[in-house]
Amino acid sequence: MKTFLYFVLFMFLAAVVILLAAMLGDLGAWYFAWLIGTAMIVLVAAAGAALLDTQEEQAAGRSGPAPPRPL
Amino acid sequence: MIDGTVVELSRIQFAATALYHYLFVPLTLGLSFLLAAMETVYVTTGKPIYKQMAQFWGKLFMINFALGVATGLTMEFQFGTNWSFYSSFVGDIFGAPLAIEGLMAFFMESTFVGLMVFGWERLSRGQHLAVTWLVALGSNLSALWILVANSFMQDPQGAHFNPVTLRMELTSFQQLIFSPDAQSKFVHTSIAGYVTGAIFVAGISAWYLLKGRHVELAKRSFRMAALYGVLATVGVITLGDALGFVAAQAQPTKLAAMEGLWKSEPAPMPFNLIAFPDQSLQKNAGAVQVPYLLSLLVTHSLDGSVPGIDALERQATQKVENGIPAVLALKTLSTNPHDPAALAQFKAHEQDLGYGFLVQRYAPDLRHVTPQQVRQAARDSIPPVAAVFWSFRLMVGFGLLMLAYFVLAVIYTLRNRVQDQRWFLRAAVWMIPVPFLANETGWLVAELGRQPWTVFGVLPTWMSASTHSVGYMVFSLAGFVLLYSIFIAVEMALMVRAIRQGPDEPGSGDARSAPRPAIAPRSAYAAPRDPHPEG
Repeated sequence: MKTFLYFVLFMFLAAVVILLAAMLGDLGAWYFAWLIGTAMIVLVAAAGAALLDTQEEQAAGRSGPAPPRPL
Repeated sequence: MIDGTVVELSRIQFAATALYHYLFVPLTLGLSFLLAAMETVYVTTGKPIYKQMAQFWGKLFMINFALGVATGLTMEFQFGTNWSFYSSFVGDIFGAPLAIEGLMAFFMESTFVGLMVFGWERLSRGQHLAVTWLVALGSNLSALWILVANSFMQDPQGAHFNPVTLRMELTSFQQLIFSPDAQSKFVHTSIAGYVTGAIFVAGISAWYLLKGRHVELAKRSFRMAALYGVLATVGVITLGDALGFVAAQAQPTKLAAMEGLWKSEPAPMPFNLIAFPDQSLQKNAGAVQVPYLLSLLVTHSLDGSVPGIDALERQATQKVENGIPAVLALKTLSTNPHDPAALAQFKAHEQDLGYGFLVQRYAPDLRHVTPQQVRQAARDSIPPVAAVFWSFRLMVGFGLLMLAYFVLAVIYTLRNRVQDQRWFLRAAVWMIPVPFLANETGWLVAELGRQPWTVFGVLPTWMSASTHSVGYMVFSLAGFVLLYSIFIAVEMALMVRAIRQGPDEPGSGDARSAPRPAIAPRSAYAAPRDPHPEG
């Protein structure tokens, strides 16, 4: 039931976004570009941080402590 | 008639307060979305270092935000105190976006800023993230309304002049907010703020990397700022081109001044890379030109051309002659609003009413206007070319410099080598003032290029001011300069102190007094999920 309610909510939001985008794209193409562009810029910056975490973890794994030698 | 010195002092006062205020605004616009990006990573990964980043940069954001609000308040009052005729003439149109801007800034933005600062321990992670996004959206939407108001001054859309009420009235709110100038100006200005925020964060992060302090936080901040900045800089250059294209249609005198284009030329027109415009002789000295480039830049075609100042002045002469009967009819209508002959005369000439006002500066009684006065008014319709020309070139130069900087920054940071490029880190610190200079010169282009109008083609600057005394204006101008200089000093002192103090990062004190580990402790950036309750 919860999943169904979420589905309905997100479908409603999608319909609103499509309607707004169609209106805004027609009346104010630059405003629409700003909305999309800002979201993209923020998400690319966020993805860059996640990529750095991965790079650091890989680098730490390569130069990590050597496995213990058998006595 | 208003004293010319009072008008000039009113202009200087508004320019000074606007330029001071605009030192704070772009950082708020840009930093707010960077904070949203940092907190988004924190909420999605659960790594505490991103929370530290959001909190540290949020502290700097707050210092800037508080002083930005303080410096912005007086500007709105100045419309009433120093520009009272302007306010009564266009208040019907100008008032609405200003009121919405005030409501957005003081209700939406400030409320969510409070929640963002004090809500870290009171809101769930999801709720706090939503608040941060709303702060960013609120800051930028607040800027939207003031830019819509400014765009009306550049290209008055959605309004008409009512000869009975003797002021402009709103006819279409939709036309006002969706005018090409409002749209392109908002996106260009807002994204210029993103560039400012990115260079600020990258510069301070570079300083930490140079000092070996808060290295993990600085590397992540630099990475995010570099990617955010490179995309924003590409965007701001593209949108600047769009704004120039709009200006070519709506404000041809501004475009001609930006390009130092004294004489009309056939396509393809050359671009003046460097020149020294002389307003009195109406020609350039020492011009260095790039063939064909101007046609490409302003018309996006090799066959396109734009009028030079000589042609625009001829057009202005005709408009002044056509505007005189409109002003004369207005005088009759002010005593008898239903005079049919005056009304018909006004309707026939109303499109050039503003140009009639322009010549009234030289001929208060327009029944006795001379051809010399008409020519003088037409010449006045050209903005100060040298100031606009060089402000534009400086802005573009700063923009290209920032693009080159960010491209290099992205290359270094994506290789995870930026901390080894000490020359580049030093350069990054020195880059911090560049976007502020670019923003200021951009506004100089926009506002000096609008002269001699407060509302382009409709209301001349000379008749827009209030009837203050020179002494009052000098006193208030000195007061503003003093007060705002104190604000800048306070901002700088608070910022420097917060930056020196650094983020509240457990175990990441000053590396100068602590041994540096060969590898940063993994827990600093890859710690298990924050125990903060999920929303």
